Amino acid sequence: MLTRLARGPAMITELAEPFGMSLPAVSRHIRVLEGARLVHRTVEGRVHRCSLRAEPLTEAQRWLADYQDFWKATLESLAIHVRDHDRKRAH
Amino acid sequence: METGSRLEAKLVIRKTIPASAERLFQAWTEPEQLKQWWGPESVTCIEAEVDLRVGGCYRIGNRFADGSVLWISGKFEVIDAPHKLVYTWQIGTDSREELVSVSFRATTDGETEVMVVHERIPDTRTRDGHEQGWLGCLRKLNSYLT
Repeated sequence: MLTRLARGPAMITELAEPFGMSLPAVSRHIRVLEGARLVHRTVEGRVHRCSLRAEPLTEAQRWLADYQDFWKATLESLAIHVRDHDRKRAH
Repeated sequence: METGSRLEAKLVIRKTIPASAERLFQAWTEPEQLKQWWGPESVTCIEAEVDLRVGGCYRIGNRFADGSVLWISGKFEVIDAPHKLVYTWQIGTDSREELVSVSFRATTDGETEVMVVHERIPDTRTRDGHEQGWLGCLRKLNSYLT
């Protein structure tokens, strides 16, 4: 569903089709995604249109955007810290 | 169909470091040391508070090149010195709590394998990560330092 929304906004009926889901079921599902701040829903009359939330990221958010790289860089810092600290003590 | 659990991700990172588990546990839990090494090189740790007991809180201030400060905080759930730490992890004040487990395991050749398990990560962050080009910078910095 998120993959579909990544291609652009869609109506709930369009989202339901490929999953063979009922409209109320899709609507419930969209509510979960809205709660997780992944999806934004606009209502025009009877048409519910959904889109992915794509807000500009701050530097801090970008920094934490990929924890894998964050933790790798952090453990690298730890390794350098203990190496330099112990080298200083040895002198 | 996606369910609530699919909106969360789990991450495991391992690194073997030539130091004892005691030494690494100490670096991980003493504020004065945290300030010297915490975070990627691009970030300055400006403040670290650690109340090292089960239920005790910690708080780490991270300053970025643009001057903005991001606080990471949480509570200790498991403390088993010098082998294991489990603590909650919250970014800022209005994000959901995530969970971090760190273990320090001695290897046969006198080094220590540090393993970080980061759980309950909202999938938004994982998704956003793929869109960002800044990651390349950190990788370059890493290879430059090692």
